[in-house]
Amino acid sequence: MNRDSVFYTIIFTFIVTFAFVLPLTLAEQGTSEMVAKNTETARRKAVLTAMDIPFTGDAEAASLFQGVTAREKDGEVLYTYDKGGKTVAAKEFFGMGLWGTINGILAVNGDVTSTVGLQIIGHNETPGLGGRIDDASFKNQFRGEALKDGKLKIRSGAEAGGGPVDPGDGVVDGITGATRTTQAMEVIVNREIGDIKKLLGASR
Amino acid sequence: MNSKQAKQILVDNLWFNNPIFIQILGICSTLAVTNLLSNTVIMTLGVTFATAFSSWTVSLLKNLIPRRVRMIVQVLIMSFYVIILDILLKAYLPEISKSLGPYVGLIITNCILMGRAEGFAQGNPPAAAFWDGLTSGLGYMWVLLTVAFFREFLGFGTLMGYPVAPKGFVPWTIMVMAPSAFFMVGTLLWISKNIMAAREKAKGGKA
Repeated sequence: MNRDSVFYTIIFTFIVTFAFVLPLTLAEQGTSEMVAKNTETARRKAVLTAMDIPFTGDAEAASLFQGVTAREKDGEVLYTYDKGGKTVAAKEFFGMGLWGTINGILAVNGDVTSTVGLQIIGHNETPGLGGRIDDASFKNQFRGEALKDGKLKIRSGAEAGGGPVDPGDGVVDGITGATRTTQAMEVIVNREIGDIKKLLGASR
Repeated sequence: MNSKQAKQILVDNLWFNNPIFIQILGICSTLAVTNLLSNTVIMTLGVTFATAFSSWTVSLLKNLIPRRVRMIVQVLIMSFYVIILDILLKAYLPEISKSLGPYVGLIITNCILMGRAEGFAQGNPPAAAFWDGLTSGLGYMWVLLTVAFFREFLGFGTLMGYPVAPKGFVPWTIMVMAPSAFFMVGTLLWISKNIMAAREKAKGGKA
């Protein structure tokens, strides 16, 4: 058969596309449950870490997560945990970064006067620059940072750099060379603080 | 493919016909991923895997592929291996999949895959095409690792994430940004061309 005839080309393209796409579809279907489970595990671990609840391994994380109360209101889930008489509240956030959505967990204390922790689940920021919001050095600053007038400031632009600052002043250090991502994080975190406050107030 | 040919392909892809500094292919990913060694390692492994298997498949099917849809079929084959890799990473190695982010999908657009499929696999038997793809990937790997070594060391003062720079070291922010990869690749190109030219001269002198 003439390899360059229109008929052969159409038949060949059809068969070859089918032959390559079918295994892909099967692989995607076959692993979709596993992927969903991985995503859920990662999210639960992020909630625990943001709430400053230490764990080792997936099994312990799963059992500890049983102690976290999840309440849903208007499609928003608020996680609360009783930590030796003190309430810790956390919520998943989705916000606009420089290139795409930044998704993570922010945890605050019960009366929303300080942050307890920040975890990033997913982002599309520039690797090595904005991507460093997922670095421990950035995230650790949110461990017990007091809010000032209910707000948190993240130093950006020329102000950024110089490392962690006083945890009592409501200011954390941003990332040098990633001004836009840093500013985006400030907007996201403050909006999130407001949302958690509202949800906490509504549930009382 | 005899051992002499195999050696020739290896030497060509690692040095005399290196995909980065001779063919100047795959530069986009060279600029993007080389500011951290760990990302570079995974990216180059992905490219090596995808190039080897897509070249092998293209070579297997070369007598069946109609000429006018040749390139589309090649891209289909490359996408197949890259997406399979992406699916498997997501299911079995979610941590690595997360740290790679969009890079895995971008392997499809790496010019080295298309270059090897068109330039080699299309006219050679499957085993040779596989070997050519594999060694092209390795040629890409060593150059990117060299670039990443200097960029991560100078840009962050770390290697594979571990701090190694002396105390008081001031990181060079430019090394974190994409333009520094241009300088690095340019410098490597210059050094390698000089070595090649010197060897050529030495050979010429003897003869």
